[in-house]
Amino acid sequence: MSDQQLVAILPHILLSALILIQMMVIAFARNLVTTVVISIIALVLTGLAFIPVHSLIPIVVTPLIVLDGYAIFYSGLILMSATAVTLMAYDYFKDREERQDEFFMLLLLATLGALILVCSSHFASLILGLELLGVSLYTMISYPRKGLLTLEAALKYLILSGVSSTFILFGAALIYAISGSLGFAELATIGSAENGTGELFLTAGSALIFGGIMFKLSLTPFHMWTPDVYEGAPAPVTAFVATVSKGAIFAISLRLFTSSGLIETSSILTGLSIVAILSMLAGNLLALKQDNVKRILAYSSIAHLGYLMVAFIAAGMVGGGMVGGKVLAFEASSYFLFAYFITTLGAFGVVTIVSLRDHEKDAGDISNYEGLFWHRPLLAIMFTLTLLSLAGIPLTVGFIGKFYIFTAGVTTTLWLLLLTVIAGSGIGLFYYLRIIFAMTKRTDASVSEIEIPLAGGCAVAAISAAMLLFGIYPAPVINLINNLIA
Amino acid sequence: MDPVAVPVEQGLALAAILFSIGLTGVMVRRNIIIILMSVEVMLNACALAFIVAGAKWGEADGQIMFMLILSVAAAEVAVGLGLLLQINRRVGSIDIDETSRLRG
Repeated sequence: MSDQQLVAILPHILLSALILIQMMVIAFARNLVTTVVISIIALVLTGLAFIPVHSLIPIVVTPLIVLDGYAIFYSGLILMSATAVTLMAYDYFKDREERQDEFFMLLLLATLGALILVCSSHFASLILGLELLGVSLYTMISYPRKGLLTLEAALKYLILSGVSSTFILFGAALIYAISGSLGFAELATIGSAENGTGELFLTAGSALIFGGIMFKLSLTPFHMWTPDVYEGAPAPVTAFVATVSKGAIFAISLRLFTSSGLIETSSILTGLSIVAILSMLAGNLLALKQDNVKRILAYSSIAHLGYLMVAFIAAGMVGGGMVGGKVLAFEASSYFLFAYFITTLGAFGVVTIVSLRDHEKDAGDISNYEGLFWHRPLLAIMFTLTLLSLAGIPLTVGFIGKFYIFTAGVTTTLWLLLLTVIAGSGIGLFYYLRIIFAMTKRTDASVSEIEIPLAGGCAVAAISAAMLLFGIYPAPVINLINNLIA
Repeated sequence: MDPVAVPVEQGLALAAILFSIGLTGVMVRRNIIIILMSVEVMLNACALAFIVAGAKWGEADGQIMFMLILSVAAAEVAVGLGLLLQINRRVGSIDIDETSRLRG
């Protein structure tokens, strides 16, 4: 391995080393503040270690890992969200559990898994990242010792995530059987040359991988686990599942399907379109009859992944190398994910803060938010802002994200999908506004007892500011995406 | 004596059958231990498919994937059994319908 390659994977090596150090510190001197400080230092240092990588890209490190602008952009997003989740989790766990330190180590491990996932270019590193992320998440979901909901959510997630991993693995095995290669890029060369049994294996293999990924991204008809896991998991973990886990898996599936050329098969594109339309409709319609804010956000995330698939399909329609429309599709999905990340983090940040006073269960029910405007106006304004951004109202980052998706859809003339995006956004407005109306109710509810903690409060405030800033002036992020991806 | 090679198609068919048995088990059985066992059967079916495919190409890649899957399965089942113990302690049952509180 050359020096350059070593520098390129320095972020991953650094994070692994810091996780080990943190484990030692926890073993010998257990102290929550120290653990959290080590976590933050680890995340910041890992982020800084990506700066020297920037001048080397694109660089291939062993057949397993490739670091390019795409990987760096998503790594940055993941590290940013992991930092926000760490701050929220500190507030959440500090008065709740006796032994909270290992949670932060698991969070770093899951982050490492996500970082490996976004830069993998081989099925072996894909599985490694997927499982590092998954196994840490099962434990994080079931971390609170009280209550049964967390255990049930963790078990459901474990079984479904395990099954979807086997789908991806079996698909990879079938493709390996006919192609003789496990790297994504090498697959492109054999893609269309096969016939007979070869083609059968190729179709079956990509369908299995596609099914497994749909499970992990909670796209309809494989979305059933999402509301339960979102409701049962502690609020900061839900934020992590919704952002880092889904974002990393989306990033790797876009890389897998575009660099191997599997996406250009028309049957896959048709399947993707059906799944995208179903997700947008089912996510938005099922959210209408929910009374639990965490479940509403779960269904809203299903719909959002549906919107995101429009950009995915647009990337597949264009085909070929990185030209015109394809760059636009990558740009659109990256900006949309950026918007989705900060909006979701903001929403779950508020849910975390509202949940702090009840140690038995999270503030899921919509009645927990009644009167928030009158007693804690700042918190209510931040929550309103995140909900408007989820709905895609102008002046928020969510609007620019959706606008980008729309542009990508228009250039590839995906009219049916775009109609569904519009219909879905219309329906979505209803249930987002319902939460906002609940907050404006004049009640003597117990919301006045809510205290805004320092760490989580700062995180949510920063996220809200970013949401407004990049909604009004998106140029910095767009330039960054252009520099890294195009 | 020359070893007799198993044809790739037959090996993959065996793996596919094992995979389907595992999937059926996950969907049909209600006992959590059996469900975890079925997931394990599915993972091992994938591992077998990789071995068969690796043998076809005469490469070690398939066997390396096998070992990777083996360790992944071990980690997954260790966490799964830990959850199972906790659930059994609190509910007194390992039937997935009796433990279910979330709406699904």
